[in-house]
Amino acid sequence: MLHFDEITIRTSSRTLVDKVSLNVQPGEWHALVGQSGSGKSLLSRSAGQLLPPGLSAEGSILLEGTDLLGLKRSNLRSLLGRRMSYIFQDYQAAFAPFRTIGQHFREAIATHDKQRLREAPDRTSAALESVGLEGSLASRYPFQLSGGQLQRASIALALLFSPDVLIADEVTTALDSVSGHRVLSLLNRLRLETGCSILFITHDWRHVRRYTDRIAVMKDGRIVESGGTHRVLDHPRHEYTRRLIAAAPVLSRLPSGLQEAQP
Amino acid sequence: MIRLFKQPQTAMRYKLQLGTAVLTAALLLFLYIYTAFVLRHDSTLTNLSIRLQGSSLMHPLGTDHLGRDVLTRLMLGGRQTVGYSLLALAAALLIGTASGMIAGFKGGWLDRIFMRIADGFLAFPDMIVVIVLSGLLGPGLHSMITAIVMVKWVSYARVVRTTVITESRQDYMLAARINGLSPANMLSRHLLPHVAGQVLVLASLDLGKVILLISSLSYIGLGVQPPTPEWGAMLNDSRPYFQLAPQLMLYPGLAIVLLVLSVNMLGDYLRDYFDVKKEVRV
Repeated sequence: MLHFDEITIRTSSRTLVDKVSLNVQPGEWHALVGQSGSGKSLLSRSAGQLLPPGLSAEGSILLEGTDLLGLKRSNLRSLLGRRMSYIFQDYQAAFAPFRTIGQHFREAIATHDKQRLREAPDRTSAALESVGLEGSLASRYPFQLSGGQLQRASIALALLFSPDVLIADEVTTALDSVSGHRVLSLLNRLRLETGCSILFITHDWRHVRRYTDRIAVMKDGRIVESGGTHRVLDHPRHEYTRRLIAAAPVLSRLPSGLQEAQP
Repeated sequence: MIRLFKQPQTAMRYKLQLGTAVLTAALLLFLYIYTAFVLRHDSTLTNLSIRLQGSSLMHPLGTDHLGRDVLTRLMLGGRQTVGYSLLALAAALLIGTASGMIAGFKGGWLDRIFMRIADGFLAFPDMIVVIVLSGLLGPGLHSMITAIVMVKWVSYARVVRTTVITESRQDYMLAARINGLSPANMLSRHLLPHVAGQVLVLASLDLGKVILLISSLSYIGLGVQPPTPEWGAMLNDSRPYFQLAPQLMLYPGLAIVLLVLSVNMLGDYLRDYFDVKKEVRV
């Protein structure tokens, strides 16, 4: 589905991502874990040619046979948001402050599905309802929505055209743990409904264990270990993976009698 | 002067700002209609037998040194002044906004070229550049407007560019990109609303300056040429008669002050109105 082949990302002086290969299968939930600065986000952004100025990616990224890195901007634009979507940690800023939620949806439909622009209001409410929001929120401005609502709205927008791949970059980091779980179980339900694969960038092991099918662990721009979620979590082979798992806060290891809450 | 009216009671202040601007506009409009449809004097017809007269029913503000009706000339002059100011400002606004947006959005060498040109214009005081350009192109309306546009677009381009650069780094612009929006759409739909408020406010504050600039240029003989009425030119014309008929200088001077003041009030009002951060409008 989405295949990263020997991706190298470098500045003029430093190599930030070093020959990383990663394959996201159709319909699977693939986690990419690693500490801050390991190059996870850069790798995911390179797929949409969204790297900051001054950085360049080498190698090839194939989305069902189409090389994304070699695509012209205009061709890439017709693909972004339609066949490959992103959602980010900072959902607050993901909507333009001067435009209503509905206008954002309408704009996306006008970009990718102009013939059906008339149905935009209906599609917007349907999309908002599919993530558990009221359709009437479409007429609101971003600052009138809560953080959780905005994150759901951004998911609805990202999944509007049932993309093949959704890249979710630390989407739960800014949410409290209850909202985080809600958002992820929502993503999981939508994934099962639409069959899209998810590349999930995170450093929260609880989410990884619960939702993901496979894991790749990144360190200093390289993937040090990858495999099925339970294999990696229960029998980590690489020293770094072991340390990462050990460093994760797990309630059962706390000295007090607190138990991890079951949602 | 304007600071005098700035009370902490914001609602009162808004009303005062808007009220002054609206009242002045209404007064000027009334006087204009009165001169155009009731008095119906010819603004350029000279009649030396009635020169330098005081106020009368036929000539509410008297006549000037060539026997022309002062009120009629004041109103037509106002039309010229305001019209040309708006024209010059609109052109400067358009050029400045477009170049600022392109420079800020594209960046790189295009940005550098635009901004070096802008720096060049900024290095000289407005008035000097305008005078030199008017001098080079010859006195008259066209050169005056060209000169004002050439000086004024720079500040808009600068402001717009800075806003575009800061806003382009915001996540909603990234979000627009990942939704596949074209650069033209991103500029017009996501950045223009951000820029428009700021630039309109800046323009309304600038309108006063441009009115003064046009009047001053006409005053020193580089702007509107006689016998066309214009406030600055009227001031200039009446200089020799200052001791004989001081009201001839007073009226255009007063008109300039009043108009600039009310335009500034309007600018202040607009600035507060567009300031979304000030209050949450639900």
